Amino acid sequence: MEDLCRSSLAFFSDQQLYYADVLCPSEVRARMEVAVLNFLRILNSPEPAISLLPLIDRRSSNTRVSSGLLTGVPWIFLSHSFCTRSLMKANAAKAFVRVWKVMELCFQILVEGKQVTQRELFYKLLCTSPDYFSSQLQVNKTIQDVVALLQCSRYSLGIIASSRGLEPGKEEIDCSTSSSGYAISGDLSLLDNLVMRTNARYIIVVEKHAIFQRLVEDRVFNQIPSIIITARGYPDIATRFLLHRMSRNFPELPILALVDWNPAGLAILCTFKFGSIGMGLEAYRYACNVKWLGLRGDDLALIPQESLTQLKPKDLQIAKSLMSSEILQENYREELQVMTQSGRRAEIEALYFNGYDYLGKYIAKKIVQADYI
Amino acid sequence: MNAVDSVPELCQRLISSAFQRCRVSEELCRLSVVLNGSRFCSPAVTRISSSCDEDISNHNLNLKQGNSVNWMKKLPSIPKNGLRFSGTEVCLNVLEKTEFLRDKICSFIQKMLILNIPNVGFELLVHHEDTTGLRLENVFRPNECSPSSFPTSSLEHLESGFVDYVLRHRHNVTRDSGSHTSTMEHLKTGIGIENSRSSGLVMEAVITFSDFLDHVNPCMMECGPRTEVLYFRDFSPSKISKSSLHGLMSIDWKSYGLKLGKIVGQEDCLWLEWEKLPSSACIDLVFHCYEKRPMRQKSYSIRTILKKAAKLALDDLKEKHTGFLLSDRTVKIRSYAPDLAKTLAGLILSSNDMEFQEECLSLLGLRSQEVGDGKVEECIKDKIISVIELNDRKPQGCKDAAPFLFKYGDSLELDLEEDHDEVEGTFDSFRLQAPSRVRAQCE
Repeated sequence: MEDLCRSSLAFFSDQQLYYADVLCPSEVRARMEVAVLNFLRILNSPEPAISLLPLIDRRSSNTRVSSGLLTGVPWIFLSHSFCTRSLMKANAAKAFVRVWKVMELCFQILVEGKQVTQRELFYKLLCTSPDYFSSQLQVNKTIQDVVALLQCSRYSLGIIASSRGLEPGKEEIDCSTSSSGYAISGDLSLLDNLVMRTNARYIIVVEKHAIFQRLVEDRVFNQIPSIIITARGYPDIATRFLLHRMSRNFPELPILALVDWNPAGLAILCTFKFGSIGMGLEAYRYACNVKWLGLRGDDLALIPQESLTQLKPKDLQIAKSLMSSEILQENYREELQVMTQSGRRAEIEALYFNGYDYLGKYIAKKIVQADYI
Repeated sequence: MNAVDSVPELCQRLISSAFQRCRVSEELCRLSVVLNGSRFCSPAVTRISSSCDEDISNHNLNLKQGNSVNWMKKLPSIPKNGLRFSGTEVCLNVLEKTEFLRDKICSFIQKMLILNIPNVGFELLVHHEDTTGLRLENVFRPNECSPSSFPTSSLEHLESGFVDYVLRHRHNVTRDSGSHTSTMEHLKTGIGIENSRSSGLVMEAVITFSDFLDHVNPCMMECGPRTEVLYFRDFSPSKISKSSLHGLMSIDWKSYGLKLGKIVGQEDCLWLEWEKLPSSACIDLVFHCYEKRPMRQKSYSIRTILKKAAKLALDDLKEKHTGFLLSDRTVKIRSYAPDLAKTLAGLILSSNDMEFQEECLSLLGLRSQEVGDGKVEECIKDKIISVIELNDRKPQGCKDAAPFLFKYGDSLELDLEEDHDEVEGTFDSFRLQAPSRVRAQCE
């Protein structure tokens, strides 16, 4: 899969693209060792200094959009702007030290041949350096700093996505026999080695776990041959990875998204579709051609007026951000406009007004009518 | 020159004039002040004697003698008989208590000695008449103000004199006392001089900083958050002007890690009160403004040259003594050095690549046997702190210049804007504002 990605990148041959290498532990350790040696050399030079850390800029000003000629799916990547972390700025000195602390920990993990989740890393750092790390978000951001500095993937650092506990060593999953679904492992190499076979005709990506459960319980996949997948909210890298793998393995299966009718739901869909800047150097990897099944503006007729709630300021912020991006297609834009103009939002659960089994019928009808954009 | 309105002020003016005369002559001079306490005197008459080529001429000055024409009366001259000396003597009778005058003159002289005018020996003799009879007190002896044997500038004289003053008044230490050397080790000085071409004025500044944090100084009289600012004008102690006061207030004390609370003026004294100065630290300041050339313009601002001279003195102290008067910003950055050093040392020591470890140790100047006991961490920490402190002295524009950890090709754009710590929500990371479409093409 990586080779496929690389070769498609080579076709577009954009020297302005910066991506994260997927490296083996010894290579990553070597990069970290070079980092330390360079730091010491500069510290010891005739004009001693504390070197600046050049990080590939992860702000939107450094993102670019590439339209693949073959795939037709645009994806985002980071270009060649760098920003720096410096110890000599009093308010940013802590961030500088944080990068080294995470690097130290990852180095030790790689030496020991282990793998940890971001959560485990957070707790370790909370114990050893409480003055520097106070939130998971801070840890995640610092990990992205290390990725941007060493230009290697997060996975190469020995960090796996939050594990949902797939049985280790299982290379084959027969989803048709399960009654409650299978958890997605955070171990990307495990996911990479999965052997996939299917007789499904569609892939349905669901925003919320509760909806996923409902669909599984109702055995919707028996009515509509489909693979149902959820990230339980904001898409994590493992889910995106798996979806991407599936889309490569089964290119003829349309991927349909079932999200709430609000800017956040659309944002989740877009993340699966285009990638996310938050993934930094790995943003471009896992974009898939996802289509919007529901909930959409037309479906509002199916739900009672009372189930529409007010849009929150955060929703408006997300809407504004989505609107301003060139990558957003016209029909999505129109949906967003309806949302913001009406000031309303609706959740998928609103469909239950028509009966608990209505959801399956709703999906079936939409698929049959090819009512997805 | 303003008129004097008290006897002590008159004495100070006369002594000051005598000092100027000695200074201008550039010859070895002895300046003697003798106080005779006597019940019998005629306060109205002042006798003035001055030495000419062959004779000593004498005059009596009596301001109560009719009109001004009769004030000065010439007395018979006294031949010098071939002896070679020159000088001036003024004898005046005043209705003041001897002890009172003595204390006033002493205090004045202690300040005059700060200027450390070369080749002047000063003595103060006081004759007390009391029940036990006549008693002579030698308050100052000439050898206490030993002239400097090497020609040095006015500023260096000021520095030397001020250091003696600070040692004596703050730390109760004199040159010949046992604790002089150890006290001197804790006393840091900085000097600065600023010339104003437009006004012909020169401003000299000396700052002393002592911190006895890690040293017990039993002789210490008073330290703490107050600084007395001494001011001299044309080689004589003077009150600080308003313009100079504004100059003091406009100094960027923050960049030296100091926070000025308020300025307190008491009679002839001016005190700077600091916020958050450790009680073991003392700062002292002296300024001297004088005319180097006749002043070209009537109106001038001392504020600017005082501010510049003070800055030069502060920078000089920082330059000579690393780690002192660091700005708050630098102190904050320095506090991260131990953690950074510990992290780097941890990274080095957890490697199982011996070549890498050896290369690191070699860069640090350590041998492989020295790996234990936190030596690696200590060494890295010292180097980092040294760079941080060095950086503090650089001008603002050069502070941030440093090499990058990794070198990349020419195609990269370096956006040196700091990536500030923002708390990004999960959705904010999706922002795709104004991306530019890239057509599939090769560079």
